[in-house]
Formats: sequence, C-alpha cells, structure tokens
Amino acid sequence: MIDFVNKPVARLILVGLPALALQTTFFAEVKIFGVVLQIMLALSIAAGLAGGSENGALAGFVFGLMFDLVLTSPLGLSALVYGAAGWGAGYLHSRALENPKWLNALVVGLMSGLATFVLPIVANWIGVEGWLSSRLTKVTIVVSLSNALFSFLVVPVARWSLAIRRNQRLAPPAEVFL
Amino acid sequence: MPVYSVSRRRAIALLALTSILLITLDIQGNSVVRGLRGVFSTIFEPVQSSARVITRPLENSWRGITNYGELEAENQRLQDQLDQQEGAFIAALATARDAQELLALNGIDNLADISSVTAQVIGGTPSNYSQTIEINQGSDRGLRVGMPVVNAAGLVGRITWVDNDRSLVLLANDSLYAIPVQVVNQPNIVPATTTTTTTTTSTTTTSTTTTSTTTTLPVVPPVSAVVDPNGITTTTQSMTTTTVDLSTVDFGALAPTTTGVIVTIAPGTTAGGPTTTLNLDDLPIAETGIFRGRGIDNAPVVEFIDQNSRFGEVQVGALVFTSGGSQSLAPRGIVVGRVIKIVERTGTSGAVLEVRLTAKLTSLNFVRVLLYQPVATGAP
Repeated sequence: MIDFVNKPVARLILVGLPALALQTTFFAEVKIFGVVLQIMLALSIAAGLAGGSENGALAGFVFGLMFDLVLTSPLGLSALVYGAAGWGAGYLHSRALENPKWLNALVVGLMSGLATFVLPIVANWIGVEGWLSSRLTKVTIVVSLSNALFSFLVVPVARWSLAIRRNQRLAPPAEVFL
Repeated sequence: MPVYSVSRRRAIALLALTSILLITLDIQGNSVVRGLRGVFSTIFEPVQSSARVITRPLENSWRGITNYGELEAENQRLQDQLDQQEGAFIAALATARDAQELLALNGIDNLADISSVTAQVIGGTPSNYSQTIEINQGSDRGLRVGMPVVNAAGLVGRITWVDNDRSLVLLANDSLYAIPVQVVNQPNIVPATTTTTTTTTSTTTTSTTTTSTTTTLPVVPPVSAVVDPNGITTTTQSMTTTTVDLSTVDFGALAPTTTGVIVTIAPGTTAGGPTTTLNLDDLPIAETGIFRGRGIDNAPVVEFIDQNSRFGEVQVGALVFTSGGSQSLAPRGIVVGRVIKIVERTGTSGAVLEVRLTAKLTSLNFVRVLLYQPVATGAP
C-alpha cells in the first residue's frame, strides 16, 4: 500500500481528486470578476516547476484528464493543454540557475495565461465554437494573477505529489544536456 | 540548449497523442469515453459531496461579503417587476386557456400535459468556457439525458449527464447546445372584445343555466366558421354553408389568398360554454430555425430560418419558442427568448437572429426538468 501511494501517478490522483472537488464546488461559486479560478491548471504548472518538464507533462495530462471527465467539453482537451503547460513550465524553469519563490510565481502566472489563452484556440480548431470571445482577455489576466498567487501553495503540494525533496534540483537532470 | 533523450521525447509525444486520440473518440461519441466519465463520476462523487459540505459556509460567507448590496438592489427591482407582472399574468391566463383549447382541438401536445421534476441547482460550472450547472435530481426521479430543463421564465438547457441523485445541465448559451425553434413575430393585436351572455331556461321541474363567452377581434370578416367539438368547422359566407375539417386546414397556405377569415371555437358540449372568435389573419405564423448557443459572452442565435411569404420580415422583438417535433429534445412551446438583432447574410444562407434568453442563466436556483423524450427515441 505504501509503495503504491509513493508512486507519482497514485500521488497525483490523490492530490488531484480533492483539488478537483475544490474546483467544482468552491471555485465554481467563488468567482473573481466573473472568472472561475483554475486550481487544476496551477497544479499542472507547479508540477512542471517541481519535477521538470517530463513530470510536468505527466501531471498536466493527469490533472487535465480528471478535469475533462467532469466537463462537457471534449475529453482530452484540457489534458492536452495542461500537459503542454506543465511541460513548458518545466522547460522554462530548467533555464534558471535558481528557483526562488517569486520566479515560481512568475512562471506559474505566465504559463497560466498562455494555457488559458491557447485552450479556446485549440477548442475552436477541433470544432468547439463560442469559446473565443472578448472575455478571453479578462479571463487570461485574472487566471494568470490568481495562479501566480496560488503558486506559493501549489508548488509545495506538487513537489510532494511527485516525491521531490525541497532542495532537489528541479531542472532536468544533467544527462539531458549535451 | 537542452536536448531530450528519445525515451523522454517519446513519453511526452505519447501523452500528446493519447490526448488527441481521446478528443477524437469523444467527438465521435464513443461509448467507451461515456463509460469512462460514468466510472470517474462514481469515484469522484463522494469526494465532491464532502468538499461541498466543507466549502458551503465559505461560499456563503464570500457571497455575503461580495453580493450583499447587489442582492438588496436586485430584491427591490424584482419586487417592482412582480407587481407589474401580476396584472399581465391575469390577462395571460385567459389567452393561455384559449391556446390550450386550440391545441387540444388539433391533437397537439402542450406543456401542461408533461410531467416534471423540480430540482435545486447545487453547483455552477467549474470552467470559464463550458456553461453547465449541476442539479440535485437524477435517474432515481426519472431524469434521462436529453430532457429539457426550464424555469418560470423559459428554457434553461438540457440534461447532458445523469447519475442516480444528481445531473448535469448543459445551459442553452453553451456552444454545444442546439435545438429547433419557431420564431413568431409579435402580432399587432388590437384589444379584443369579450362579451358574456347568460341564458336561463326554466321548466316546471328543472332549471338550466348556460353561459357563453365570445371573444371577437376587431376586424369584421366576410366569412365565419364554427368549429364543433369533433373538430368540424362550419364556414358561412352570405347564403352558402361549407363544412371543413380544421385539422386538415393549412393556415400558412390559406392565408395569402384569404382575407378576413374568422374562426369561432365552439364550446365542448352542446350545453354551451366559451366560444372564441379569432381572425386567422391576426394569428402569427411561425418561422422555423435552429437555435444555437454561442458561449457566455455572445448572444445565442437562430439560424437556417425558412423564408415564408406569409410570415414576412422577422422583426426585432419576435418571440422564440421551441418547435417540438418527433426528433426534437424539447416539446413544442417552451419560451426561449426574444430576437434582439437581425444579422443579414448574403447568398442563400439567410438571416441570423440574435436572441436574448428570457431565463436568466447566471442566477439559477430552482429549475424544472420536463420528463419528456421525443417520439423518435421510443421513450414515453
């Protein structure tokens, strides 16, 4: 049992279920300027910061898929975008020599904005209309700022869910560089 | 510049391809994907219910802090509206009764015949793009996927997923929502006159009182027709009398060549009852089209309008109702909204009508699920 819980995917699900419950209850009701805050996206990006781009992609895929399963939008859409966001966060962060908290917040905010903006574009591309609108700018800004603030909470959670120690190097291991 | 190993690249590509595969399967309506959603829902439901209990006080506190002033103002505004609508409601009751009689005479279902289940909204949409709500009734109360959801104002959406004791409702403004509708220009009705006559017949042993109500629209017609309880219409003009079966009359085809036709709806029994006289020219003819949501920011539209010479130009303010039919997921006659803008398009594509929904989808509390499924599904 302990071995199972220590596996990253099991931990991701253990973290993802309560986070998704929070997303579908509290955050679905408590809106900022009419915008739903996106804790699942914040967790996906935080996983990239905590465990590197590969872990970020995996966590983003798992969290996005869980989110898709409770939405009416096509299954796999959030998984694709959140996975890419997690991968991108890990890649961006690998370029930094240090990872102070303010930098984490900046990356989470930046990637959140990008993912929020890209999601309706991908949706439109696969035939889901009506998501691209003037409201997108407001949504992108609010989600970026709120997720930047969430980063102080979600990065440690993502670190635990990927079984990464606090002082462990977060960038990809040395062998991936030429 | 970091370069990833083949295995890492392969893992990331695999995740991306899996996502694309899932999207493709879901768009095609694959049953495995539907099953996956069902299984996940079963696992997730207890966690979500617990979270709902825990976070409810926090949500209420947040609403109390942020919405108090707004709620107070809205309460006052709603009270004013309530007072205004009380009078209109009484007038509408009489019209509704007449309409139900007409529908019954023609063997057309009306909303009053359809059972419904009242449900409370227990959750909003967790996404900024899809428009859904969660309600606290499910398959245990007879709810099925596709059933229409309404509130007192009109159409709200349709059931898109059902569990035993809760369901997900796709709101009418979601871009995935579409339904056939009728667009009806508001008739230029001059107030009708209603007269009531009471005839008392007395014999030595019994006394019978017969009351009849006649509603006559102001245009004086050259022709009149009387419909008996069996749907047989007797049309009279000068010295001739013709008998017509009302159910076979195509009002749309009749209207362009006939002016000033009056139809008198006779009481249901020979003993008397209300008699309503209508001018067919004043009955609005409906255009049909497809209503489609376009997301939270954009007004829903009605597309693919059939052009009908009888109907003429669609006007801003025209009413939009569900059209029903054997394939439609909603019965005929649910109020959808009003046309607020007409966007003309070149070619044969026709105009697009922007619609303002009568139901306020941003503040739903209680809704009614109509236990209706179209004839084509084989359901009751």
